[in-house]
Amino acid sequence: MPFGHRHPLTLIREQVESIFGAMGFEILQGPQVEDDYHNFEALNMPPDHPARDMQDTFYLDQPMPGGGTLQSTRPATLLRTHTSGMQIRYMESHKPPVRIIAPGLVYRRDTPDLTHSPMFLQVEGLLVGSGITMGDLKGTLVTFLKTFFDAKTQVMFRPSFFPYTEPSAEVFIDCAFCEGGCAVCKQTGWLEILGCGMVHPAVFEAVGYDPEHYTGWAFGLGIDRVALLKHRVEDIRLFYDNDLRLLEQFPH
Amino acid sequence: MRILVSWLREFVPIPVGSNDIGELADALTMCGFEVGSVEPRPAIAGEPTDAVLDLEITTNRPDCLGVLGIAREVGAIYGVDVRIPELTQASGSQALDPIAVTIEDPDLCPRYVGALSDVEVGPSPAWLVERLEAAEIRPINNVVDVTNYVMLELGHPMHAFDLDRLNGREIRVRRARTGESIRTLDGVRRPLEPEILIIADAEQPQAVAGVMGGGNSEVSTTTRTIVLEAAYFDPISIRRTSKRIGLTTDASYRFERGADIDAPVRAVARARQLLAAIGSTKSDSPIVDQFPKPAAPVIVQLRHHRIGHLLGQVIDETFVISILTRLGFAPRTEPGTAPPIWKVTVPTFRVDVSREEDLIEEVARHYGYDRLPPTFPALTLPASPAGPWRDRDQLVRRVLTGCGFSEAITYAFIERRTALAVHTDEQDIVTLKNPMSEKDTVLRPSLLPGLVDSLIHNRRRERQDIRLFEIGSRFRYSDGETPALALAMTGASIPQHWSGPERETDLFDLTGVLTQLCDGFGKEIILEPDTADHLVPGRTAKVQLKIGDRTTALGILGQLDPEFANAQGLTGSAAVFVAELDLQPLTTAAGHHLQATPVPRQPSITRDLSIEIDEALPAAQVRDTIRAPGGPTLVSVKEIDRYQGQGIAAGAVSLSIRLTFRAPDRTLTDAEAQSSTDEIVSALVLDHRAKLR
Repeated sequence: MPFGHRHPLTLIREQVESIFGAMGFEILQGPQVEDDYHNFEALNMPPDHPARDMQDTFYLDQPMPGGGTLQSTRPATLLRTHTSGMQIRYMESHKPPVRIIAPGLVYRRDTPDLTHSPMFLQVEGLLVGSGITMGDLKGTLVTFLKTFFDAKTQVMFRPSFFPYTEPSAEVFIDCAFCEGGCAVCKQTGWLEILGCGMVHPAVFEAVGYDPEHYTGWAFGLGIDRVALLKHRVEDIRLFYDNDLRLLEQFPH
Repeated sequence: MRILVSWLREFVPIPVGSNDIGELADALTMCGFEVGSVEPRPAIAGEPTDAVLDLEITTNRPDCLGVLGIAREVGAIYGVDVRIPELTQASGSQALDPIAVTIEDPDLCPRYVGALSDVEVGPSPAWLVERLEAAEIRPINNVVDVTNYVMLELGHPMHAFDLDRLNGREIRVRRARTGESIRTLDGVRRPLEPEILIIADAEQPQAVAGVMGGGNSEVSTTTRTIVLEAAYFDPISIRRTSKRIGLTTDASYRFERGADIDAPVRAVARARQLLAAIGSTKSDSPIVDQFPKPAAPVIVQLRHHRIGHLLGQVIDETFVISILTRLGFAPRTEPGTAPPIWKVTVPTFRVDVSREEDLIEEVARHYGYDRLPPTFPALTLPASPAGPWRDRDQLVRRVLTGCGFSEAITYAFIERRTALAVHTDEQDIVTLKNPMSEKDTVLRPSLLPGLVDSLIHNRRRERQDIRLFEIGSRFRYSDGETPALALAMTGASIPQHWSGPERETDLFDLTGVLTQLCDGFGKEIILEPDTADHLVPGRTAKVQLKIGDRTTALGILGQLDPEFANAQGLTGSAAVFVAELDLQPLTTAAGHHLQATPVPRQPSITRDLSIEIDEALPAAQVRDTIRAPGGPTLVSVKEIDRYQGQGIAAGAVSLSIRLTFRAPDRTLTDAEAQSSTDEIVSALVLDHRAKLR
């Protein structure tokens, strides 16, 4: 019997985990059903915040026991839209310094198409300590992207908005598909690869960290998107068909 | 947000030629306003070539949902002054009496500005139409067009009512009453409720505040006098109303993000100036400004050292002051502070700025993220190893891929019908409130349905030999979200090859894989007959893990019931074998407390037995019967052959068992091995009526 194959998203996730693991990040896993507090409120997204529209959410009809295999006093009411809830849980129970990544499946009510799936795999990172700067954010992410893709990869940081970071940035890498413009990069020569920023002081306040004393940064990376780009898969939905003709192209 | 470059140029001298608009687009993009496209526009006589910028405005920047807001950013980018024309409140004769305005709910409407104008309604001039169309707003008539123009220019939504259609010359801003309804401008009759703020006349609703006007007081060609409205509405109230009635408009989009509470008077004055300029109005009323509780300006402290602390780069003081000032902030240096501390007055249009970090972002955006030096954060604490789940999942993947299984990832939402087929407790099924489709409405209580779907997908693509597994969460009301493993296998167990005969997968292949898997964790499994609706009776077993003298339930295995398989859409007749295990009992690290025993130095003796025995007897029971009299010298029991058919009684099975004996301290004699074998045979005969063959 020939060997079976690990899922391509698992391969990418494990590569990301290895790179950050080598940079001293602890790898965490958290529940996929979350409560509103850990998914939104503690992340500076109070009820009725317009930014909630950025992450269209699946809600449960009735609350269910929350926390997964962790203890939680709050019943879960929704499917997490990002793995940030795990960062909140970790900070609630640990003093700085913090250096973690949290990979896992997340859910958004997006209509499926070539690049959108209502369920996808994300990895988020968080680093908190004394004297952590946006320069550190840049240095770490540039190191990661050059290790993951290619030492020649060009990286660009651009201002953006997320409620849980201030300042916020979007990170782009030079398009591997073309020289100067193609359909994949929408003729810009750049591919958006992740979102990041300096942790918003309101998030620190929610978990009882003193924002005067500690600074930190966070990022979120879509594993599916990276897999599409790295392996040139044309449709994100192929990852969830589990077609052996795709799976068997990847190493064991 | 789509705006014409020529409109921007009215407010700010852009030092970029009309052939280099791409430069402007790049500059805006790099300070946080992504320009999706630059569309060239044909030049109007005597004007340079124009272009439309399609800007993406993030939710925190409602002030940039207008030309003026973008102009301020452009001013900061190029270090040029923004020109805001002076406006007078009176643009006409002031012949009309002011309109009466009452705010009944100042929490939901802190400010309301209303004014009357006599108008001549007709089409707008070409330049006005051109600017609206560039923004993809449909021109309607000069009055409505002017209100939209002001919205695009200042970012502040406006509305115009036909005064003659109002009952009584008055405006009441109040919550709707139960039973009231309104036909909005889109022609839809909408029921109202007290959570919804409305603009009413003396009697009835005339607009859903901040969302859409009513058809009754719509401005038409017969309109002679209009009420111009510019107000500030509570963002949360507008957002809730917009969601409640399922209507998002250009106005609600802006109000729910936060309008400028100081803009309404300016908006009305600008609208009247425009109406006068296009010759639509000659007389108007004084402006009525209801603003019961003006708020003190927001002042935020900014410490120069904190900028470097957060960004990792010291930024020149004069640069900080210049950028903030150009963006409309008023920084004032605290006397005697070095490095300086500024008290920064935040303009009312910057609803997103309330803390020091917000101001630092303003500085960083315009300084340029790309100019911040990349550094690597010092490690002050060693990393903790990942939780035991990670080793566990990696080991499961290692063993199963080694056994020929490929990894699947399937959706967490499945059909209720399917969920109930594998998990019959209806109370335990977690339902989604807002599923994506009418089909997949519940969270999976089991991983099997998803895996069967993947099996179907592959079989439909002419794949017969399939082995898949998935590691994932399952969801139940009773025990919440738990990690599980599911396996499915079908087709050939030994693929076609010249080296030997092909063989179809059977139940023993599956139990073999599970034994391998648990062996990987240094644990032993025990199988006991069981039943489940979706599995074939007699080919279903409960899987338990032996930990010391205790057993822990691990899951279930068996042959998939063909009826269930068919109902799921599985075609083909080859048997499908599946298992689903709880992964939690496997989380403790394998071999963590293992103490090695010395490698045996003594030779062993083997004896083969052939017995005929009841086929229903569980293998584990037979093994226990063998082990008890075997004593400590019996080191291994292996079933090496199994036969049913000719020569064997119906309901019986012939088993060949290989026994291995060894003593740790001496060479065992044949006589000792034979004596143990005889005792084992007697026990089998006595306990199970076995027949020695």
